Amino acid sequence: MAFTLRSVKVPPNSASLEEARHRVFDFFRAACRSLPTVMEIYNLHDVATVSQLRSTVASEIRKNSHVTNPKVIDMLLFKAMEELGNIAEHAKQRHHIIGQYVVGRQGLVQDVGTKDQGISNFLKNFYNTNY
Amino acid sequence: MGLGMLASRVMRPTASKLPRNLLSHFHIRPIVSTPESSAAQAQPEPEPTPPPRAPVAGARVHFKNPDDAIEVFVDGYPVKIPKGMTVLQACEVAGVDIPRFCYHSRLSIAGNCRMCLVEVEKSPKPVASCAMPALPGMKIKTDTPVAKKAREGVMEFLLMNHPLDCPICDQGGECDLQDQSMAFGSDRGRFTEMKRSVVDKNLGPLVKTVMTRCIQCTRCVRFATEVAGVQDLGMLGRGSGEEIGTYVEKLMTSELSGNVIDICPVGALTSKPFAFKARNWELKGTETIDVTDAVGSNIRIDSRGPEVLRILPRLNEDINEEWISDKTRFFYDGLKRQRLNDPMIRGADGRFKAVSWRDALAVVAEVAHQTKPEEIVGIAGQLSDAESMMALKDFLNKMGSNNVWCEGNGVNTDADLRSGYLMNSGIAGLEKADVFLLVGTQPRVEAAMVNARIQKTVRATQAKVGYIGPAADFNYDHQHLGIGPQTLIEIAEGRHPFCSALLNAKNPAIIVGAGLFERKDKDAIFSAVETISKYAKVVRPDWNGFNVLLLNAAQAAALDLGLVPESGKSIESAKFVYLMGADDVNMEKVPVDAFVVYQGHHGDRGVYRANVILPAAAFSEKEGTYENTEGCVQQTLPAVPTVGDARDDWKIIRALSEVAGVRLPYDSLGAIRSRIKTVAPNLVHMDEREPATFSASLKPDFSHKMSLTAFGSTIENFYMTDSITRASKIMAQCSALLLKK
Ligand code: SF4
Ligand code: FES
Repeated sequence: MAFTLRSVKVPPNSASLEEARHRVFDFFRAACRSLPTVMEIYNLHDVATVSQLRSTVASEIRKNSHVTNPKVIDMLLFKAMEELGNIAEHAKQRHHIIGQYVVGRQGLVQDVGTKDQGISNFLKNFYNTNY
Repeated sequence: MGLGMLASRVMRPTASKLPRNLLSHFHIRPIVSTPESSAAQAQPEPEPTPPPRAPVAGARVHFKNPDDAIEVFVDGYPVKIPKGMTVLQACEVAGVDIPRFCYHSRLSIAGNCRMCLVEVEKSPKPVASCAMPALPGMKIKTDTPVAKKAREGVMEFLLMNHPLDCPICDQGGECDLQDQSMAFGSDRGRFTEMKRSVVDKNLGPLVKTVMTRCIQCTRCVRFATEVAGVQDLGMLGRGSGEEIGTYVEKLMTSELSGNVIDICPVGALTSKPFAFKARNWELKGTETIDVTDAVGSNIRIDSRGPEVLRILPRLNEDINEEWISDKTRFFYDGLKRQRLNDPMIRGADGRFKAVSWRDALAVVAEVAHQTKPEEIVGIAGQLSDAESMMALKDFLNKMGSNNVWCEGNGVNTDADLRSGYLMNSGIAGLEKADVFLLVGTQPRVEAAMVNARIQKTVRATQAKVGYIGPAADFNYDHQHLGIGPQTLIEIAEGRHPFCSALLNAKNPAIIVGAGLFERKDKDAIFSAVETISKYAKVVRPDWNGFNVLLLNAAQAAALDLGLVPESGKSIESAKFVYLMGADDVNMEKVPVDAFVVYQGHHGDRGVYRANVILPAAAFSEKEGTYENTEGCVQQTLPAVPTVGDARDDWKIIRALSEVAGVRLPYDSLGAIRSRIKTVAPNLVHMDEREPATFSASLKPDFSHKMSLTAFGSTIENFYMTDSITRASKIMAQCSALLLKK
């Protein structure tokens, strides 16, 4: 993994929340800029569009919107940059991208009409897994 | 014998007690000669008695008659043993494990490997302890330089012609020769000549042979003749030309042939399907039981990750001793083929489409509600566990239907008296019988381990076996009395020559095949059997010889839980059929407009007609209770994860009941077991055999109601009896090559 480490430099810690926020936007821009290449190298044209991937990136970032500690944000940013580096360097394979960012974690068979109100915990668990 | 145990034995002995100065004479250690041999004479006064050791592997002595006890001294420590034990057994009781190759406790003694040599005081030469009876006052020494040198010499001779191919040998890691040469062998060899080589034999699709590795211990030959009851294997040639073989070019056609793999101490006989698949130390063992027949043999499933790689027997004296049948040992590749892994619904075009559990259960519940209660039918398959059968019965009862049964339990079978459908003598108890009457059952294909018991009894005590049924294959002496009920009536009326044998017997045993449950005249047949058992005194307070040999793993528990059809007609009028792994139901009888749900793990016969498929876990993937034919309740444990989106059987029914709005009141295995306890309390006593309490029942008079059609054979193909074995490639090869046409 030497080549990924080379490309990721550990930046100095953000001094304030403001600076950290700024860095997040910088990262998002960088990610958006690399998306066309990503589409190209992983041959994603028939399964996703650039705008879909862009909103996936945005939602991955929004998942952590509750984080206010600049140090934690820096850490998350570092991980995100590493991931982006891996993707852009083609260190992953097509099914990784599809599995993680196109299909999402719900799996291929999407449960439509999720009406989980009023069912027991047993049934909820049953739908998820056997264990 | 574990390597650790051997190694510690090697560390312990006298070498450390030697005077230091003696050792210093040996700067260069010559091959074989051990310094102890010269030190032996130097040992002056007798050592103080060492503390007693625990017997090897929990070996116990049972004194039939207290006068028969004799005392011997093993390494100076006195032990009491019954008369007639061998020196090796005496050492085992004293806690000394003697190295051995040819000796096996369940086979006759051959005494040809010479690995078990020990020194006995006043005997000029070391003696082979496995073949030498212990005599009163014998002083056995297992740790003397003479004994050790003898072992080293034997080891050297054995290795002379044994190939050095441990790295590519499947036995590597669990090989007696490997372990013992590490423990007792010399650290170098002195042979420069070529090793001999032997042509490999073809023993069929199950046993792989590399005959150059054979050390001529003849365990396999003795196993084949004594336990399997076939004279297939034998010793050919003399001296260094000695070979194990089948005399003529021939496959080994015993249903127990796989056991030679376990008893072969080296890698000469190994498993063909397992060849080069894994090393034994990579495997995870799960102690579970077998479900391919009603015996419930104890097995260990060896798995690596999600894959079952092999199945080995586990010791259980009451059920399978230490053997298992070939079907049990080799059907595991069926667990990987034809598996159902997603819930599926058949579309309008007749093709299955994968759907989510939510949708599948919703559809099933919807249809079930639109059906009239009496048109709902539930059938449990032959591999179902007690928990899921309980859930199925409860679910259908809540839907208002009582048409729920387990396949193989004919219409209205009397499930009230446990003694009416169990093997009352117990499998181990069959050894006490001296006359057997087999009625409509071919134990060799229906329950190979029960057959092995009968074979053992016949071999040991010359017990008589009478058989009524179609011409069948037996591996012991038997009299074929007749083919149908006619003969049974004759015996019941006392007109048959076999009656005198029954009357003179001390412990007569009658074994009735469960295939007769399917006959219309089964009540008449059973009352005829009852008449026989009455006049032959088969059932007494001290001996119950009335036995029913069940056919499949689910049957006994199903009968305990009362899963018996009330009328044979309900399937013809069914509109909603719930098959829980049931593949042997006659699907032609199901009306075309009926909605069929198949819950199970294999795409087998049931699936062809199904409208909805609910994937379930196989026995290797779930925890489930099974009761075997003698009434012993045992449990399977999950060895590997479930495939795909499959779920445990009872969970599916529990979930379906909630979707259908008739929620079952249990959420866990513990809760479902306490529900079972209220129905059949014996099913929660794990690993215990609950004998049926016998009480005489009133059965109708037999003679007029019996039809005279001959008994049929229940199992056409020993190797393929259920959905897993039918999916197995190895079993298919076996049926193609080994079944007698
Ligand atoms: S094949 Fe195995 S069991 Fe048979 S004689 Fe050779 S070493 Fe012994
Ligand atoms: S074990 Fe005694 S001679 Fe083989």
